Amino acid sequence: MLAFIWLVPLFGAVLLWTLGPQLRSWAGPIGSALIGASFLATCALWNGATAPGGVHEGLGSWLPGWSFGLQLDRLSLVWSLIITGVGFLIHVYSIGYMDGDRAFARFFAYMNFFVFAMLTLVLSDNVIGLLVGWGLVGLASYFLIGFWFERPTAVAAARKAFVMNVIGDVGMMFAIFVIVAKVGAIGYAAVFAGVGRALGPHDVFLICVGLFIGCAAKSAQVPLQTWLPDAMEGPTPVSALIHAATMVTAGVYLIARFAPLWSASADAREMAGVIGGVTAIAGAILGCVQWDIKRILAYSTMSQIGYMIMGVGVGAYAGGVFHFLTHAFFKAQLFLGAGIVIHALADEQDVRRMGGLRTRMPFAFAAMLVGVLAICGVPGFSGFFSKDAVIYGTLSAGHPLLYIVGVVTAGVTAYYMFRLLFVTFFGSYRGDIDAAGAHAEGEEPHHHAPAGLMNVPVAILMVPTVLIGWLDAGGENSPWQRFFRGFPGFEAVPSTTAPAISELASTLIVLIVVAVGFGIAYARYGSGPALAGAVARLRTEAERAPRVLVHAYYADALYDAVFVRPARALGTWFDRVVDPHVIDAGVREVAISAQWLGHLFRSFQTGLVRAYALSLVFGVACFVAYYALVFGVSR
Amino acid sequence: MNVAPDSYVTLSAVLFCIGVVGVIARRNPLIMLMSIELLFNAANLALVTYARLWLNNAGHIFAFLVITVAAAEAAIALAIVAVAFRSLPHVDADDAALLKG
Repeated sequence: MLAFIWLVPLFGAVLLWTLGPQLRSWAGPIGSALIGASFLATCALWNGATAPGGVHEGLGSWLPGWSFGLQLDRLSLVWSLIITGVGFLIHVYSIGYMDGDRAFARFFAYMNFFVFAMLTLVLSDNVIGLLVGWGLVGLASYFLIGFWFERPTAVAAARKAFVMNVIGDVGMMFAIFVIVAKVGAIGYAAVFAGVGRALGPHDVFLICVGLFIGCAAKSAQVPLQTWLPDAMEGPTPVSALIHAATMVTAGVYLIARFAPLWSASADAREMAGVIGGVTAIAGAILGCVQWDIKRILAYSTMSQIGYMIMGVGVGAYAGGVFHFLTHAFFKAQLFLGAGIVIHALADEQDVRRMGGLRTRMPFAFAAMLVGVLAICGVPGFSGFFSKDAVIYGTLSAGHPLLYIVGVVTAGVTAYYMFRLLFVTFFGSYRGDIDAAGAHAEGEEPHHHAPAGLMNVPVAILMVPTVLIGWLDAGGENSPWQRFFRGFPGFEAVPSTTAPAISELASTLIVLIVVAVGFGIAYARYGSGPALAGAVARLRTEAERAPRVLVHAYYADALYDAVFVRPARALGTWFDRVVDPHVIDAGVREVAISAQWLGHLFRSFQTGLVRAYALSLVFGVACFVAYYALVFGVSR
Repeated sequence: MNVAPDSYVTLSAVLFCIGVVGVIARRNPLIMLMSIELLFNAANLALVTYARLWLNNAGHIFAFLVITVAAAEAAIALAIVAVAFRSLPHVDADDAALLKG
């Protein structure tokens, strides 16, 4: 049954890839149905997975102690349900969004392949299978970011994402090397059993660092964050599924999966918590100066994953995973809502050229509004519960600094999300105004009619976006806390100091900060005076934005200067010096020597039979003389 | 009559030298072939002499082999010479230097 969940998407990928041209518009429904089947199979395994030990299925053994298998326990169940469930909805959405694309079948083949890769990652019961899945999702992400490969920017973004991800893969490989060298087995259970025995504190820290490099690359944490905004070159459903809901949260899964290791290393937890916090605030601040609707969402994804990493990093595993769960719903919702807008405006992504869409697209507005309320943590919506769990988790783990970062980030998040909402949906439509400020005459850009099929998944997603948070209502005895009670490694790390303030007070503080963020956004973008001169004001604001933020802290420029340019200079040097003067010269010298030898020996080839005979006789004479001298002439 | 083995070996050496000089110095292919035959026979004489001297029949066997090979060589070489006679203006081994490097 587990293998069925796992292999059905692979079957779909192969089927759609090979028979794509024949299937035509059937490719979408078939691909969606297969993911739906996988989702139903996952649901059917609910009882087995929540039983102690979960469901396990062996796949075979390579060497003794190296058996491969699939396992579905509570943690992988959460992920599998999101991957196949949200994946199914996004597949259905894509039928509408990708309608008419030349490579319709190829898109669904890639999407199914991604689901297969992601399931490999979360269902594997050993570190090698995890690494395989880890690499495969990177590959699927590469395929899908570069899906429109005729755009040079998409190809560059795909390559960048792939390279960044490979850095992470290498980090993970080193972690696995340490595990194999010290423990000698690859199964999770064996690895966790080795903590404190075969794995000393130093080994555990090393493994955690290696894993965290993988996690940072995949989850766009500082300093490997630069690929995620560029990844928005892919089709919007891809951004929703891979670069918001599932793949980028694989880092959270990784830390939660290896919780027994992280629990054993305070230094590693410190590192993850700090980097998560830095990413959360850095991503949120960058979201404030972006104008591309998808890039705003991308930076918000980066920031929210920072929250999750911060949560699991400080030991609030259940909280971090819960934020993953709610984020998967509301971020997918936001992306799909943005997709409806983009699709309807003929691929316009600049929010400055939108505006006033509230009346033109009421459904998209409702979808985005619900998503924004959820991400900002408005009470009752899902983000309220999960974000609070993470933020308060940092405080109860004894990290007041991270707590402050979390609170401030919540305010900044409210600011840029409401800014997005106001600029896009309020005021009047600015898409038909040209650079000079006049209403452009002439042709209206080709606007798609909103596809009914695209609205259905968004409407379905709205339900969990609003309600899923209530799973964690009720403190220690909430359904969510009970779900993960006793999960290996999830026991809260005992804190040395009691939190300075109660959870209720913390919630109030967060809400006040969120309200302040909302207030600033409203004053700048939502109020009557702000909306009046919106066109000119938005333009000057874009010009006056701090350069360091517009250039995303110059991270790209820095990497360009530190890695890309030296590598290119080295390549040029090899091209100019080593290649012609060492490699080519070597080959040339061999040829010249052969030619010279040929010249030497051709002088012996006189063609005269008698000369050959003479040399023969001479040779024989030499032999005779040699033997005569050596052995003497016996008498 | 009992001739000392030395005489046979000396004769063989003399014949061999005549043959060598013939192959090297003469330019007429026919004469060269005859000189080669002389070389074979010089070798044969030495083989047979030593076979008798050491009472070892291997020398006799080799002599027969040499005679067989010499016959085959003569047949092929004469055929080549006959062809060369037709295509070359003069009968001169030095003119057939097409394989000069």
